[in-house]
Amino acid sequence: MDNCQNIDNRYDREACHLDELAALAREASPHLDNGSHPAVLALVQKSMELPNAANLLRDAKQERLQNEVFIRIGSELSSRLALDELLPQIIDSLQEVVHYDAAGIFLVDSETGQIEGQVLRGYQVDSLHQVRQKVGQGLMGAVIQSGQPLRVGDVEHDPRYINARNQTRSEMAVPLLSEGRVIGCFNLESDQKDAYTEHDQELLSTLANHAAIAIERVRFYREVLRKRQYEEELSLARQIQLSFLPRNVPKFRPYDLAGINFPSQAVGGDYYDYISLTDKDLGIAIGDVSGKGMGAALIMASFRASLRVECVHNFEIRDILARVNHFLCESTDIDKFVTAFYGVLDRETGRLTYGNAGHDPPVIIHADNSVEKLDATGMVLGAFPDSEYDVQIYDFRPGDALLMYTDGVTEAMNSRLEPFGLDRLVAECIRNRDLDAGALVWKITREVRKFCSPEPVKDDLTLIALRLPDA
Amino acid sequence: MDLDFRKSNDVVIIELGGKIMGGSDSAKFFEQLETSLGEGHQRYVIDLEKVHWMNSSGLGILIRALKTIRDHRGSLKLARSTRKIQDILTITKLMMVFRTYDTVDEAVHSFDEST
Repeated sequence: MDNCQNIDNRYDREACHLDELAALAREASPHLDNGSHPAVLALVQKSMELPNAANLLRDAKQERLQNEVFIRIGSELSSRLALDELLPQIIDSLQEVVHYDAAGIFLVDSETGQIEGQVLRGYQVDSLHQVRQKVGQGLMGAVIQSGQPLRVGDVEHDPRYINARNQTRSEMAVPLLSEGRVIGCFNLESDQKDAYTEHDQELLSTLANHAAIAIERVRFYREVLRKRQYEEELSLARQIQLSFLPRNVPKFRPYDLAGINFPSQAVGGDYYDYISLTDKDLGIAIGDVSGKGMGAALIMASFRASLRVECVHNFEIRDILARVNHFLCESTDIDKFVTAFYGVLDRETGRLTYGNAGHDPPVIIHADNSVEKLDATGMVLGAFPDSEYDVQIYDFRPGDALLMYTDGVTEAMNSRLEPFGLDRLVAECIRNRDLDAGALVWKITREVRKFCSPEPVKDDLTLIALRLPDA
Repeated sequence: MDLDFRKSNDVVIIELGGKIMGGSDSAKFFEQLETSLGEGHQRYVIDLEKVHWMNSSGLGILIRALKTIRDHRGSLKLARSTRKIQDILTITKLMMVFRTYDTVDEAVHSFDEST
């Protein structure tokens, strides 16, 4: 740096000498005439042209300074990984290359189309809202829309100019381009008319190219971080959701019970549960929230919480479902709903008392392979607050198998867009009559996957099997 | 999702087509429905003949449409629902709140009969 300083000082000194020499020549010139010596005449004549050489030296110094600033900015740009560090650095370094009285770096929000000032210098805080402009409005808007730089020598005579600073007389803006796409612009304002030259515009454009690359790199880095954070949160959500599902199957002799759940994404909207009410009464629930992913998972958590609270305080299934419905109507968007089946099985009497809130009807496959469906007794939950739910009864017979499922099983599509369907589900259950409930739910899940292959199963998939062995 | 709003006398006929799956389809649908309700229209028929497929989020669109129209003291009928949609409405018991008609004409004329 010292060496550079020495060179700059030398440029200045030499330029001063040349200027002084030229001034002496101008002073001497009126005193010369035809009688003067030709060498003196030539010396004075040549010396009067020396300011050109002095200006060349000054230009060289300026160019060297600019190069130095660019090298420094380049190194700064490549080392910063946060926009709030990077952009102030750029705008402050810019002052050393092109003078401004006010300046801003503006980026386009790709979602809203709004131009947002990311870093500003020289504007009044009150005028900030005037600086924000929609793409296509104002001088910056024109630059962003066209992708072309703009220099306005006298802003008073340009109808596009939006006044954000009373002192501004001239303005220059260049686009920030990334792979041909305009991601924002640099804007400089000066209190002098015609402050900016074509050379200034070239300098600013060069800097803008460096800055655009750096900004995109920072954005990419931020995106990677955000994705990693999202994946960590999703993994946590998955663990929380897994904790909502039964870890163990309650022993409920003589019945054989098993359930299985596979979300199509990290988290899902399907749910099943066993709720021990008394020594002899077991609550069994299966539900499906409309939609998929995190939104559905949150509703599923609300549904589970409200169902469990109601089950503990209330044994009347019609009341439980009505209350859960009311709660969901109040707490979820009107286009979100839950289909659910909830039944209580008395193992001593073999009586299943149930309500079905618009859920795919569970099927009972009797020992003689005949099939019975437990149809809906009321509307889906969370859609209409005054819905009522009837209660039905089914008395288990030896050899019965009850399958409760979500539409991820029956609606699973193969590549010919055929659904797996209820008939295949029933046929699998009949074919695997010898398997216990646990092996049966795994077997059916494998069959659904095999049916869809090579397509993946696209929806959340949940299945519960309940068998009463032959006497 | 294909979407077309047209008027037949004082009834707005909303023709849906393709896959009805919620998401951005839903935003487009409700933007147009809100505009129509804002203009004072109260009678709506959703023609479902060209719908190939509807998931639970698509069903959510129908539920929200019914509630939005009712909130504006209007009424909504469904016409030409496919077998598949009929099955979904039956399983979910939503048939209790949606009036469905075999043809658009029947749905349109049902408003006069009910008043």
